[in-house]
Amino acid sequence: MAPPTPSSHRPRKKRKIATSPSSNNNLILDLGEGKQSPAFPLVSFLWAARAGVSQWLILPLVLMAVGLFRWAVSLWGYSGFRVPPMHGDFEAQRHWMEITTHLPLAKWHIYDLQYWGLDYPPLTAYHSWLLGKIGSAFDPSWFALDASRGFEDPRLKVYMRATVVVSEYFVFIPAVVNFLRRYTRMQGVHAWSASIALVAVLLQPANILIDHGHFQYNTVMLGLVVASLDAILAGRMLWACIFFVGALGFKQMALYYAPVMFAYLLGVCTFPRINIPRLISIALVTLASFALLLAPVMMNKDSVTYGLLFQLTQIIHRVFPFARGLFEDKVANAWCAIHTFYKLTRFDATLLQRASLGATLASIIVPCAIIFRHPRASLLLPALSAVSWGFFLFSFQVHEKSVLLPLLPMTLLLAGNGGLSKETRAWVGWANMLGSWTMYPLLKRDELRVPYIVMTLLWAYILGLPPTSFETYRSRPSVEDSNTHFEPSTLTTLLHFGFHLAMIAWHVLEAFVAPPPGKPDLWVVLNALIGAGGFGIAYLWCMWKLYTQCRQISRQVTEEESQKKKQ
Amino acid sequence: MADLYPSLAQCAVVAAAFKVLLFPAYKSTDFEVHRNWLAITHSLPIQEWYYEKSSEWTLDYPPFFAAFEWLMSQAAAYADPAMLVVNNLGYESWQTVYFQRATVILTELVLVYALSRFVKSVPLPNKQAAHVASLSILLSPGLLIIDHIHFQYNGFMYGILILSIVLARKQSTLLYSGILFAVLLCMKHIYLYLALAYFVYLLRTYCLSLKSIFRPRFGNIFKLGFCVVGVFAIAFGPFAQWGQLLQLKDRLFPFSRGLCHAYWAPNIWAMYSFADRVLISLAPRLGLPVNAEALNSVTRGLVGDTSFAVLPEVTKEHTFILTFLFQLVPLIKVWFNPGCWDTFVGAITLCGYASFLFGWHVHEKAILLIIIPFSLIALKDRRYFSAFRPLAVAGHVSLFPLLFTAAEFPLKTIYTVMWLVLFLFVFDRIAPVPERPRIFLFDRLSLLYLAISIPLIIYCSLGHQLIFGWDRLEFLPLMFMSSYCALGVVGSWVGFMVVYFTA
Repeated sequence: MAPPTPSSHRPRKKRKIATSPSSNNNLILDLGEGKQSPAFPLVSFLWAARAGVSQWLILPLVLMAVGLFRWAVSLWGYSGFRVPPMHGDFEAQRHWMEITTHLPLAKWHIYDLQYWGLDYPPLTAYHSWLLGKIGSAFDPSWFALDASRGFEDPRLKVYMRATVVVSEYFVFIPAVVNFLRRYTRMQGVHAWSASIALVAVLLQPANILIDHGHFQYNTVMLGLVVASLDAILAGRMLWACIFFVGALGFKQMALYYAPVMFAYLLGVCTFPRINIPRLISIALVTLASFALLLAPVMMNKDSVTYGLLFQLTQIIHRVFPFARGLFEDKVANAWCAIHTFYKLTRFDATLLQRASLGATLASIIVPCAIIFRHPRASLLLPALSAVSWGFFLFSFQVHEKSVLLPLLPMTLLLAGNGGLSKETRAWVGWANMLGSWTMYPLLKRDELRVPYIVMTLLWAYILGLPPTSFETYRSRPSVEDSNTHFEPSTLTTLLHFGFHLAMIAWHVLEAFVAPPPGKPDLWVVLNALIGAGGFGIAYLWCMWKLYTQCRQISRQVTEEESQKKKQ
Repeated sequence: MADLYPSLAQCAVVAAAFKVLLFPAYKSTDFEVHRNWLAITHSLPIQEWYYEKSSEWTLDYPPFFAAFEWLMSQAAAYADPAMLVVNNLGYESWQTVYFQRATVILTELVLVYALSRFVKSVPLPNKQAAHVASLSILLSPGLLIIDHIHFQYNGFMYGILILSIVLARKQSTLLYSGILFAVLLCMKHIYLYLALAYFVYLLRTYCLSLKSIFRPRFGNIFKLGFCVVGVFAIAFGPFAQWGQLLQLKDRLFPFSRGLCHAYWAPNIWAMYSFADRVLISLAPRLGLPVNAEALNSVTRGLVGDTSFAVLPEVTKEHTFILTFLFQLVPLIKVWFNPGCWDTFVGAITLCGYASFLFGWHVHEKAILLIIIPFSLIALKDRRYFSAFRPLAVAGHVSLFPLLFTAAEFPLKTIYTVMWLVLFLFVFDRIAPVPERPRIFLFDRLSLLYLAISIPLIIYCSLGHQLIFGWDRLEFLPLMFMSSYCALGVVGSWVGFMVVYFTA
């Protein structure tokens, strides 16, 4: 597509440009008499940029603004603050910095497992080591071996919070910026709506609340995944492998995405014609990067005593805790929902594991098959969302925080063609609100109620979504006509309204009504049940999206072929 | 057609969301000051308000502000009655923090209203500029740092000031403008610094005929006099009745303080002190006498007398005379241009400048007295804007030392940098070309000045500690900062004087 038109000083021409970027996104409403108004508040905030202001200005401003919100959230509580003896995720991360800086590599994954043993893959360990080294330069007592357990100091909090922000700005943010730039160009979306989508993605409440509130480094893993997607869009398959191995090596949760990546890379080597050298090079690069990742842990002189294999099995055992139950706490997935009505504890653990494996496979096989048969970069986002929803709903040992994984590719859909139209915005917004809402019991424990309320409502507000606005569900004349299929159907409207009402009602219940005696977890269970239902619907929507996009693409391909034949 | 997006309301919503997230941020002793006032006004009879001294933070704002605190204390009783106990010194339950922080955000709605009135009052061709200017005030880093982190109610009171300035635009609402300003004076007496501009403007434009100064309009004089005296009578009358006026005077004007505040506000006296410091090291070579007693006081920079080692001492009388003189100069133009609103706002700005630059014991927070009225006219044309630019940088950077905690460092710097980049860029695009040719004197210098701010901030916040450690030569970064900012404020003052008198 053409580069963004340079700004003009003549007002008449300006208006002409103003209408063009709205293609398929309906960002500008026509009020008649030549008056125009932005479709939702976020458009309004970037209104002045619609005539094509330099990215060199917009991007730093956007990054500063979203950074401020992150930092402001980080002023609030974190997981496990003043909760001895185990504290929470903050202490876990700090403890890993402590052990990685003080112990030889070989002991990292086996040191005092009862107290937050390192159960993340090696890249997290290296990351912790680096942050621990830097932090020790400020104050060694923050990370003194054993002596620093449960250490809570305002300056340590600032340092730890800063490491999350800096890690995010080094990995996630450049990856998302680059990915969105390439993706929107590929989809023929104007740079202006790309900036709007960028703000929406970067202010996604769930990510901010978990990483900067609860305290984790999810955005590093998610950033590596997005970097991998970016490499795929750029056609650099080998880099995609390296980044994806990096994501897996940072947090095993990236496995939710692995089937799609595998199917895609295999598909690229198979269709339109089988390409053996490509397959071999992909396999080699993947293996090499895994080897590189594990090499420091495996190959040091201490590990001779333990043996290479022991190290590897230790890591795998620590990283994949099959020894734990089917699900932990109350999580909004299928197993927890079924368990509420039909106790699953009566079954043998191995049977449950098999059932879980079977259900997960069944839920992901179709999207993987589609991606394998049609390895198109533009299909990746819906496929990734569908598969990770499948994992979230049916797999083993799911945490409520894992909802970040399906939410990310789904939110990235906002940048696509028609992504900011009412229909996609309504669905993506709804899924995000629901996702944040299912994490509310967790956030409440961390004293993050206020940031939860502020960040979710703010996001809903800037994107013009309920409960702050019902504009997305109303049909209005827009600058372009013939866009009716970008508006949510009646069924969608009813469904979303039902869920939004349920969420609000639940909050009212939770805040003002004590659960009946004997059932202290009733509200949390109710939350998980509604959440599981909603996520199931989100899974179906992503499947539908994948299917329609796939059909659209194959139709385009056949049309092009028939045109070629005619010529 | 002018596009007024994003609207004030939209910005106010997003800004309010951000400000709510700042609830747990650092808060200065002013938080406790205001909590104490809530307690005093709620639990003591009015006669004792200005005598109560259990806390060292006694009530030292005029009666209307005390009444405002009393009003809020009625709601505070529902949030947490414990904060209303006078002896509960330093009490800060989360309810107290949420309540007090929330009142700052809510009372700022007055500012939003005043700004929307301002945009409405501007004729169509300038509407977009007025809209941008009001957004810049609404999102001002000064208000964010002082009100929402440090803790004060400036947003509310500047809202009243702007409303009063907007009402001064039309003959028909001039009376209300005067009344509102009188009310404002009875809330916070710092606005006395601007009172002279109001006095001259109202006298010339409202009380005398616009055509000739020899035709007084007695009806208007009576109305204005009656109303203003009435406002003051309501505020101070009861206290006069109880014979407490002298006590009020002592509370409101504590003249035992020194020339410079603990941290030098960036004014003439900061430069004077800086020159004194430099001369101390040069004195032996130049053969100047050095006052040995003064040597310690300057470096410590505590609240108290800053005495000078080499340069002559400055007394209160000196500062009064200088302030008064430099306030009078711009008022001459107001006198000879009756009914000219732009001149009036310029005069308010210059009165703010004079009192900030030459006043006795000036707080760095008083910089808002200049920036906020100036913002209203900064977009008049490019000449105004070029005088505004160094002020915007120096004024906001000078507020940085108010927040010294590590967690707030990214907030203040990133927010201010974002505001400066955004608004200086937008102002630069919008400000129209002036009718008269500009004097290209300070442009290059101004650019150089802006560029210096970056290494300076880095040095003061990080570099100094790396070079000298945490506790050596602590005063050095502060001194550099205030001298640097003083240069910018003085530079923009001189620049604006030129623009004001040649316009």
